[in-house]
Amino acid sequence: MDKVLEVKDLEVSFFTHAGEVKAVRGVNFEVRKGETLAIVGESGSGKSVTTQSIMKLIPMPPGKFVGGSILFEGQDLVHKSDREMESIRGKEIGMIFQDPMTSLNPTMKVGRQIVEGLMKHEKISQSDAKKRAIELLDKVGIPMPDKRANQYPHEFSGGMRQRAMIAIALATKPKLLIADEPTTALDVTIQAQILELMNELQEEFGTSIIFITHDLGVVANVADRVAVMYAGQIIETGTVDEIFYNPKHPYTWGLLSSMPDLTNEEEELTAIPGSPPDLVNPPKGDAFALRSAYAMKIDFEYEPPMFQVSDTHFAKTWLLHRDAPKVEPPPIVQKRIQYFREKKQGKGEPNGSR
Amino acid sequence: MAADREKIVQVKNLSKHFNTGRGNVVKAVDSVSFDIYKGETFGLVGESGSGKSTTGRTIIRLYEASGGEVIFNGENVHGKKNTKEMLKFNRKMQMIFQDPYASLNPRMTVADIIAEGIDIHKLAKNKSERMEKVYELLVTVGLNREHANRYPHEFSGGQRQRIGIARALAVDPEFIIADEPISALDVSIQAQVVNLMRKLQKEKGLTYLFIAHDLSMVKYISDRIGVMYNGRLVELAESDELYRNPMHPYTQSLLTAIPRPDPDYERDRKRTHYDPKKSNPHDEEVEFREVTPGHWVAFTEEQYNRFVQRKDQ
Repeated sequence: MDKVLEVKDLEVSFFTHAGEVKAVRGVNFEVRKGETLAIVGESGSGKSVTTQSIMKLIPMPPGKFVGGSILFEGQDLVHKSDREMESIRGKEIGMIFQDPMTSLNPTMKVGRQIVEGLMKHEKISQSDAKKRAIELLDKVGIPMPDKRANQYPHEFSGGMRQRAMIAIALATKPKLLIADEPTTALDVTIQAQILELMNELQEEFGTSIIFITHDLGVVANVADRVAVMYAGQIIETGTVDEIFYNPKHPYTWGLLSSMPDLTNEEEELTAIPGSPPDLVNPPKGDAFALRSAYAMKIDFEYEPPMFQVSDTHFAKTWLLHRDAPKVEPPPIVQKRIQYFREKKQGKGEPNGSR
Repeated sequence: MAADREKIVQVKNLSKHFNTGRGNVVKAVDSVSFDIYKGETFGLVGESGSGKSTTGRTIIRLYEASGGEVIFNGENVHGKKNTKEMLKFNRKMQMIFQDPYASLNPRMTVADIIAEGIDIHKLAKNKSERMEKVYELLVTVGLNREHANRYPHEFSGGQRQRIGIARALAVDPEFIIADEPISALDVSIQAQVVNLMRKLQKEKGLTYLFIAHDLSMVKYISDRIGVMYNGRLVELAESDELYRNPMHPYTQSLLTAIPRPDPDYERDRKRTHYDPKKSNPHDEEVEFREVTPGHWVAFTEEQYNRFVQRKDQ
């Protein structure tokens, strides 16, 4: 299948007074044409640093690429100069941020901000660009787009601002769109509208999306494939069905069972004890071992490799080793696995993509 | 069921209007009424701007009410009070805030933050008793004694929220208003804080007003839930009932908008839209009434009649 982006053994560190913060510690993933990859993780897991590295938005210093490569359509972005990145950023790869108020220019009319991107990357006249901007605002569901184009961001509501951001990001029809928690600051009903819009636009433009979030509900909604990050590494990756209905890593189990499910009655939330490790001195062995009820002796000594579960499903836990004892996941996860099995029997092979 | 239970807080036609100048008035809370029973968790949900936080802040008198009253243990919170009476009242009602970074004074040690209430209310006879209390509170909320002499910046978000909880507990309150206490925390930490709050409720018989926009967490922690829209309460019911049988179109739209951690459900989720102009086209007067026992909905006369007809069939 067509790979738009391939990240290989990426390592990014920040050199601070406290020492080297190993924010990204050997991350591998790929994004195929037209799919949505969701990256899930807590704050400090390295999900934002990973995607900012793709855009080369990491301030250097203190940041530094320690190793690995980022192949975008076969070209390694790690060694690109700032100048070369300018023709990729905003043109080939678009980005939407969490907070639309701080990422839009408050002193510039919204229409003008779309025009700016178009004029920079495409040979287009001012008036044509203006026309396109209004079309785009219409496309992302902003009513009265010709009027709205002449307004400033502060005249827009939060949801409308995020729509405007999407219009800017999609103006140049990028091959890859990075959405960094685009709905976290929005209300649920507005969030639902934005997610619907993104799904629609993806179908129309065939854009590949990397969607960063910590909300598993949102992941279930948007993702074709999921990568779960913890302490600067991807610890489990698979299709959305594999991650939700057949998770293998104790951290993924923890995430899934610490979230109340509206359909589940009266089940105790299983909190993950403790907090994520310090990345100045990442723990030896499995980074999650200290917080895991399933940790074995080996977890504290050797880092587990990625074990293969299926063609698309990988997890970084010693529990998948053939000599590991059989363990029962938490009840809420067992229920999911049960559901998965029944579905598999009912429908044949489960299908990961929508 | 609930009728004979003791009411700890009665909110009666509470309003809070903000004058935004040039004769513009924002009715942030507009004639809201509900009761909170002793020992329960009452959830208040709504979108930003719905007035849920303003309601919480007016109940504890961080804002003066523009109208209506709040009866706490039989006394009007907004009545005339001298300093001494205010002090007594403040001890019984406490608040936990959303942002664990902004709500702790960065220049105070954890011990001083937690003991501030103890000092104000003179709950400790001497220094060692004061510190004993602080240590005990730290352990209660899952931190340890060594944390007492540190400053807030040395803690993570979840730990800070625990400090905020310890501070609220320091004066032995009966009623705690928690304004989005977990919204700023990571998923794995949210469950820790919610479990802690539930444990403390059981041990100390606390009553909570839990304000949040995350409906799945609210459903999990609350006994009853009130839904706010545009400064008004549109629906109030026991949490299971509200989720099984939402009656107000706004509640329905809110419930169908929540993404669930279930890809299969998400693939064919049907969202209902709420448009106040459609559900109440002539802007008729709505009345907040009890349509089935314990289930209150803000219906217009016509909506209510339709509901009664459907029920009779």
